[in-house]
Amino acid sequence: MSAITRRELEAYLDEALPAEEMARIEKALRSDPALSAELAAVLACRDAGVLSIGAIWRRHRLSCPTRQQWAEYLLGTLPEDAAAYFRFHLETVGCRYCQANLTDLQRQHSQADAAAAQRRRKYFQSSVGRLPKS
Amino acid sequence: MAPLSTDQLLIQRIRAGQADAWEEFIARFEGRLLAFVESRTGNRASAEDVVQETFLGFLTSLPHYDDRQRLESFLFSIAAHKLTDYLRRQGRRPAVPLAPWPESQSGADVPGKARAPSSIARSGERRQWQEAALAHALAEIIAGWKNRGQWHKLACAELLFVRGMTNKEVARRLNISEQAVASQKFECLARLRAAVRQQDLPQELFPELYETP
Repeated sequence: MSAITRRELEAYLDEALPAEEMARIEKALRSDPALSAELAAVLACRDAGVLSIGAIWRRHRLSCPTRQQWAEYLLGTLPEDAAAYFRFHLETVGCRYCQANLTDLQRQHSQADAAAAQRRRKYFQSSVGRLPKS
Repeated sequence: MAPLSTDQLLIQRIRAGQADAWEEFIARFEGRLLAFVESRTGNRASAEDVVQETFLGFLTSLPHYDDRQRLESFLFSIAAHKLTDYLRRQGRRPAVPLAPWPESQSGADVPGKARAPSSIARSGERRQWQEAALAHALAEIIAGWKNRGQWHKLACAELLFVRGMTNKEVARRLNISEQAVASQKFECLARLRAAVRQQDLPQELFPELYETP
């Protein structure tokens, strides 16, 4: 298992690593005070206004394909080199935002998510009272 | 003036208090938010609760939402905060201890020549502009790689900066030499340093660009 880098700790703070990597770091933080201190130092730099390439890249999602492009990926209409990169972004980079979009598109496509209407009703009813007054 | 996007029109209607617009908004985004949160909670019921809090959080932060920001990214960032809170309450995510400014810690690994916070000029708007300028420079580099079909360069930079892997690990994943990784990293950092100079941005905000290899 490789050592955890400062840049990985930054991504951890952004809740942006694949789920298994997030769990690995959480586990390590519980048992390694030095790593915990390193995380605190990363956070202090961030609070002081220091900007990292990774944080900016993630926040602006600079390499994430659009939802429309993911729909094209599912349809198999992308050129092979682009499709290979999309797979890489999903599987090797492990982008959870894109994974979430793809899962949602697949669920919509298969219509397997029959409970969606009920969920949406619940979200609507619990929040509609907070809408700005017209 | 540029025409409003579908998202901007929807936000305009929500700001006007239109319930049907809010219903449309929920239908458009809840599926992807649920998938994002569920990948971490591993539990549907908890994930639904976090998504519910995300929508409430969105309405609370609506007065501060800048329409130029990508709506989906804004929502995902709220969801990530709500998810972090949930995981902390569950005891899964350890609390981060407070640290003094790293320069005062002996042996702390402070990247580059970072200055104390008081000396970094950073009003909210100025900081946003500085971040946007670097994001723009990065976006141009990425677009160039994509347009030229240099997917390997994009893959290398993504593993280094987005995933935070070491040169060695990136070399192993991409089946290339560590020297090739270092060279691509150097090229990317050099182009970003040029952008910082060109835009007259303060170097101390981006210490990573001036790290010694």
